[in-house]
Amino acid sequence: MSDFEPQIIAFLCNWCTYVAADAAGVSRFIQKPNVRVIRMNCSGMVDPSYIIKAFASGADGVLVGGCWPGDCHYISGNIKAMRRAPLLQKLLGELGMEELRFRLKWIAASEPGPYQKTINEMTEEIRKLGPYKRSAA
Amino acid sequence: MSKVTFDSLRWLEQPAQVTVTVNGGPPRAYFQATSPRDAAALCKGRLVEELPRILSILSPAHHLCAAQALDRLFNVEPPAVALNMREALRRVLFVRHFLRKFYFLASSQESPFAELRSREVRPGKRDLHGVVQDLSRHLSLAQEAAIILGGRADHPVTAVAGGVSRSLREEHHPRLAEIAAACRDCAVRLSAFVREDVFPAGKLLADVQDIAVGPLASLSLAPEPDRLILRDAKGKELERFATTALFDKVALQREPWSYEPFAFLKDKGWKDLAAGSAESLFFVGPLARLNGGEAVATPLAEAERLRLVEAMGPFPHGGVLAAYWAMLVQLLEAAEVLVATCEVEKLSGPAPRTIPTALGQEGHAALESPQGLIYHRFRADERGVVQEAQILDAATANNALLALLAQRAVEEPVAQSKPWEVARKRVELSLLPF
Amino acid sequence: MSRPGQKVKLAVHTATGCRACEQGMLDVNNEVSELGRFAEVVFWPYVLGTPWEAVEGGVDVALFAGAIHTEADRQAAMKLRERSKILVSVGACAAFGGLPGLVNLAPPAEPAVAATESEDKPTLPRTEPRALALSQVVEVDYVVPGCPPTQNLLWAATLALVCRGESPARLSYSVARLPEAVAEAITSGVLPPRGTVFAGEKAVCGSCSRVKEEKKSGTCKRPYQAYDLTGRCLLEQGLVCQGVATQEGCGGLCTGVGVPCRGCFGKAPAIMDPGAKMVSAIASTFDSKNAQEIAGLVGSFVDLAGTFYRYSLPSQCALLAPRRG
Repeated sequence: MSDFEPQIIAFLCNWCTYVAADAAGVSRFIQKPNVRVIRMNCSGMVDPSYIIKAFASGADGVLVGGCWPGDCHYISGNIKAMRRAPLLQKLLGELGMEELRFRLKWIAASEPGPYQKTINEMTEEIRKLGPYKRSAA
Repeated sequence: MSKVTFDSLRWLEQPAQVTVTVNGGPPRAYFQATSPRDAAALCKGRLVEELPRILSILSPAHHLCAAQALDRLFNVEPPAVALNMREALRRVLFVRHFLRKFYFLASSQESPFAELRSREVRPGKRDLHGVVQDLSRHLSLAQEAAIILGGRADHPVTAVAGGVSRSLREEHHPRLAEIAAACRDCAVRLSAFVREDVFPAGKLLADVQDIAVGPLASLSLAPEPDRLILRDAKGKELERFATTALFDKVALQREPWSYEPFAFLKDKGWKDLAAGSAESLFFVGPLARLNGGEAVATPLAEAERLRLVEAMGPFPHGGVLAAYWAMLVQLLEAAEVLVATCEVEKLSGPAPRTIPTALGQEGHAALESPQGLIYHRFRADERGVVQEAQILDAATANNALLALLAQRAVEEPVAQSKPWEVARKRVELSLLPF
Repeated sequence: MSRPGQKVKLAVHTATGCRACEQGMLDVNNEVSELGRFAEVVFWPYVLGTPWEAVEGGVDVALFAGAIHTEADRQAAMKLRERSKILVSVGACAAFGGLPGLVNLAPPAEPAVAATESEDKPTLPRTEPRALALSQVVEVDYVVPGCPPTQNLLWAATLALVCRGESPARLSYSVARLPEAVAEAITSGVLPPRGTVFAGEKAVCGSCSRVKEEKKSGTCKRPYQAYDLTGRCLLEQGLVCQGVATQEGCGGLCTGVGVPCRGCFGKAPAIMDPGAKMVSAIASTFDSKNAQEIAGLVGSFVDLAGTFYRYSLPSQCALLAPRRG
């Protein structure tokens, strides 16, 4: 499976994670090229159906990035994301998906390093898992 | 060797067909359930409270059986109003089931959808179409009663752990009483009609008068709680045992030509159906329930039962004609009990359910569904997630009987080289009352 | 199709499921003042014993119930599609897979019954490992969802497709909140656009009679526990009620009798996946800001897949639904 290139969709919140990702890029941090970023105004805007749709459309992994609790530009949007994630993780697990494929991560605007680390690690972990196969006949 | 398959059989509750093979000698009929139906597998991994709604896929009475099993699992006693509502629903299901069977019988020779004006009306002769319309009308009413009591008719939702999910509204009470009385009167009219045209002279059933299997051992619910009665082929009580011991007495045989297993008595051992022996079999249902020869509690039904005994001799019986007549007796009984149960005092109460305080890990129940005895048993973990389920449906209990009936039904037409249509009709009419 | 004096050729069939939908249709005959006036029932094995050859003469409207689970089901679907002008999925099993679809959560590796060896024993139609909705096997024209469909929607479909607005039966649809196209079809006989579902426009909450207030409960309540049987929204009380993700049309039947909705009408038209919607809805009732607390609460929700996709796993679970074929 060493030539499998995972496709990871990252829903990044505009005010923190996206800025971190931008900064990581501008500072020439070495990042795996497997992530496609979708900029959202808030991690709380990420409806579980977007995540499921991403997997159903061929994504092998999905990352939702948001501000640390307390730092949300909209006060408590990230709390909404925090409330959804474990329940969604449980549902995905029951449908046969490995836990590492979906992640919710808090990354501040000032943390391009953690952003780089997150996506590099995620890429390698998912590479090991292999492509996400919908259990379709 | 020639092989004929009767698919598109009328009136079957499950998708099934009968395949007849003739290999020089007498024909061999195979009653094949053509779709898998593993309700126990659907239960595994589900929360226990979901079982009443899931198991109604087998038949509506399974909803009530599962709720009763939940009462046991949660160790609660439902309030009287809930027990009455559930019992009323059970009786309504009986009325609906038997009305439908007689509707099918009455329309067996003529499509129920034929237009009025294309039909000749013979004056002075009891009009079969009129009977069909009468039954159809009361089927609707029974369905309405089932909806009032169960939320829905075929997949009821109101029986829950500890009782029912809601109390009836004021306007429901007179309507239920009205429907109960109407159904009882319809049953009385039906009984007059069948006396002229069906029993014992058997015009509608002339073709199948001779078909019988056994008598067989019969299994039914005991009057005391949580026990079952097994009677031998002579109607004598063999033993009375705890409901939970059912699968110690009964085993299931799988054959590669049917998706539905065949229930049989464990201690007798399975005898291949080809041998035609009913020795290790038992059956459930209206006839099984009457085969002990005991009187029925309600007057109209008992009068009908005595007419049966007068015409056909004392119980036990195993023939198709007796099976139809038994349905009529039970229809009358159910309607009479329904009238008695649909009284405001019985169906009103302060709370519709008792709230459980602890979650147990084993639940079981058996009850008489219209088609026959049904049984549930499940084990749940400490969260109330089902780990294991054991279910006996009436169709499984009677599967071997149906197979033997199909065999009997085809023997004579084949021996007399009649067209296959004749054999098919005999099969349909033989299976209908079981 | 339905010129004066010419009857609509009707076919009714169930694949794998139960007989509830067909029994519902039996009642239609009584309520729609004689189906025989409008329709010639050319194929209805359950009631008439008509053989499959009868379908060869052509069918105008075929009402198909049951999920596709065996080879025989698949052939029945293809034959009826081939011979019918209009094919209607009736009931949750045909519409989206229904209860038989739950087997797809853990499809068996082995077929249900071993194929028979001997020549003179009859064979059984092979079981497919997954149960499918009718639309996953053939093109379907209309859908009447529900387990079973409510009588008024069955009648609506009959009035629209078979009676073509000519039946004198007058039925109230206010509880079902039917879309305009369906209402028009019932009264004037104009066929609704292909793909129309005979159900409401939004989610069950729209028809549910319960009172909705503030949706913060922060609990996971089980149906056996105490809750307000009438009155307050069940989701608000901490129960898992799927009305929010389910297409309306039943009139809030289950919630009206005190039990939570389990989604038998399939997903509401506006949502993409019922499981995703339920995650969103339930999470929105949590009021904690503490990750540990939330994790603990989530632990008490069990069997999410088997509940959120109770009737709709085969065709409406975005992650498991196979492609057409």
